[in-house]
Amino acid sequence: MPNVSLRRPKLWLLKAVLAILFAQWLCGPVLVALADDPQPDPAGISTGDKASTSDAGGNSFILTEPTDKTASDYAKNKKAFDEFQAQAAKEPLAMKLADNVGHLRISTNFSWTLLTGYLVLFMQAGFALLTCGLVRKKNAGHLMMLNFAAYVFAFLAYYVCGFAFQYGGAAINAAPTNLGGTPTLNHFLLGGGLWGFLGGKGFFLSGPGYDAGSLCLTLFEVVFMETAGYIIVGAICERITFWAFILCELFMGAILYPSFGCWVWGGGWMSQLGNTMGLAHGYVDFAGSTVVHGVGGFAAMALAIILGPRLGKYGPDGKPRAFPAHNLAFVVVGTFILLFGWMGFNPGSTLGASDLRISVIAVNTNLSAVAGSATAMFLWYYMFGKPDITMACNGMLAGLVAITAPCAFVSPNSSVVIGILAGIVVCLGVLFNERVIKVDDPCGAISVHGYCGWLGAVCVGIFADGTYGAGWNGVGATTYLGKAGQGVTGLLYGDYRQFFTQLGGATFMALYIFGFTYLVFSLVNSASSMRVSKEVELEGLDVPEFGMEAYPEDRVEMIAPGAQVARA
Amino acid sequence: MKRIEAIIRPSKLDEVKERLMTLGITGLTVSEVKGFGRQKGHTEMYRGTEYTVDFLPKILITIVVAEDLVDPIAKAIADSARTGKIGDGKIFVSSLDEVMRIRTGERGSSAI
Repeated sequence: MPNVSLRRPKLWLLKAVLAILFAQWLCGPVLVALADDPQPDPAGISTGDKASTSDAGGNSFILTEPTDKTASDYAKNKKAFDEFQAQAAKEPLAMKLADNVGHLRISTNFSWTLLTGYLVLFMQAGFALLTCGLVRKKNAGHLMMLNFAAYVFAFLAYYVCGFAFQYGGAAINAAPTNLGGTPTLNHFLLGGGLWGFLGGKGFFLSGPGYDAGSLCLTLFEVVFMETAGYIIVGAICERITFWAFILCELFMGAILYPSFGCWVWGGGWMSQLGNTMGLAHGYVDFAGSTVVHGVGGFAAMALAIILGPRLGKYGPDGKPRAFPAHNLAFVVVGTFILLFGWMGFNPGSTLGASDLRISVIAVNTNLSAVAGSATAMFLWYYMFGKPDITMACNGMLAGLVAITAPCAFVSPNSSVVIGILAGIVVCLGVLFNERVIKVDDPCGAISVHGYCGWLGAVCVGIFADGTYGAGWNGVGATTYLGKAGQGVTGLLYGDYRQFFTQLGGATFMALYIFGFTYLVFSLVNSASSMRVSKEVELEGLDVPEFGMEAYPEDRVEMIAPGAQVARA
Repeated sequence: MKRIEAIIRPSKLDEVKERLMTLGITGLTVSEVKGFGRQKGHTEMYRGTEYTVDFLPKILITIVVAEDLVDPIAKAIADSARTGKIGDGKIFVSSLDEVMRIRTGERGSSAI
């Protein structure tokens, strides 16, 4: 039997685990917040008070004392602050009530964020079914194990350092006020101020990370990272070894996803380009067309190129051959589970139900999904004479991926247009990968998540209509483009700078993710092949890698196992 | 004793079976098989890539009967399995040396 090494104990793995445990023990006391730092609140009893109370427009109940005496509106603000102080002193009961209201607001947002996080977690089941259905029967068990192990190992990597890298400096520029602001996550490991490159607090989720608000964010963000971890499975399945795959997932959860995530969501340098370089609202990605899907898609592309196509995928003449899906019911059910999970992915990214834009986001997300699917069906019918079931599903996912970045900033009409664009891109992308650059992508992950992720971020810069996102990334809190309350605005609504920021940012994402992944795993692959042997690939990976098959009844001797014993 | 083997369209199995039951046959074995004859295979499309299906699914019926029943049974199969289009199948008739019923050990025509 090939691959006996699988059964040998991996001594280096044991050593690595022990080293990590030792490091954690060491880090625990060291990382506890210093005396002058905000103290973590593990019990959640001091998260959310009157400072969290605000009206529908997001205006805080509490007025803070203006500090900049040279500001033109200093006198006005100072007068308002003094009046507020005088009133507050007269009405202590109102202040107490404000404390309760603030706590209730944060509680509502916690519930929303956790609940939508659980929906995103369920997307893992959708990915497992979708990708399993799309591969050949002989690799179905292996595929399921990859999906399963992705969750396990990437989660651990995110716990060790991924979360700290991504959100360790969130409070500096991107405090999630809906969750109480996570004041303990206030340090960049690399860079600082408006040029943060890597967060530096919350390793092992201990010390500053052991905080109710911070851990609420952790739950929501770890399932997003897992989504990126799952995406790569679709492109590298049916040929990668289990050990190489675990390395991919550790890389994804520990550094690849957190680094780009820090730059866009953790208050890092890309999100602050508006403040530093005057580039509109900086790079904007609402729920992760690029941060999650683009990262997964382009990492998948690099890995698929390193691994090479499956045996027999391209004939001696260089023409592609079809390896049809083995279970279309899995594919369709998986796609619907993903759609359902996306109702957490996008609306949940407000990190709070106190933001009523959630209804718009939910409808936009669905609209783009159905528009993408309809486009893929019609386009395939036009090109090949029949709509393809798997491409109809890919079209729906393409619409979902593309609306993920713009979902909060666009109108329902624009969502349909974005879905249609995504439906076209995903179809052409699948054909381009298969016929032109000859990258073997069994499930279409590169096209769905990579190309359409890029498209989604660019669409923010085209279709954002300015009705939402005033003060996004710290830009234009009072007025923007000369209008009060003007939010993120795209090319069609008069802000060409946002378009170029999005175009540049999304393209940079593709190059960075592809380049970094390609570099690291070319080295890994040259040290030890990441691909199973030819015999294993022909036989199917289930038995050589895991000793069992997904459908054992297919074997004649397994039709009535145990019958002899039962009769005796 | 004769063995009749007929390759028919899967969609015609019910019709053939019902017709044979009216003729009073005592047993029938059915296998799912794949193959091609003059009908050949056909090409399909999966995610934009053509693939050929060379071996089409068919049903193989095996019946063992006394010699005098061969003609009416073959005719019944042919009548009920026919659509008139290419791919309707074939009937093979061959001689059979011996039959044995496993439960009782009977041999010959009484074992049919």
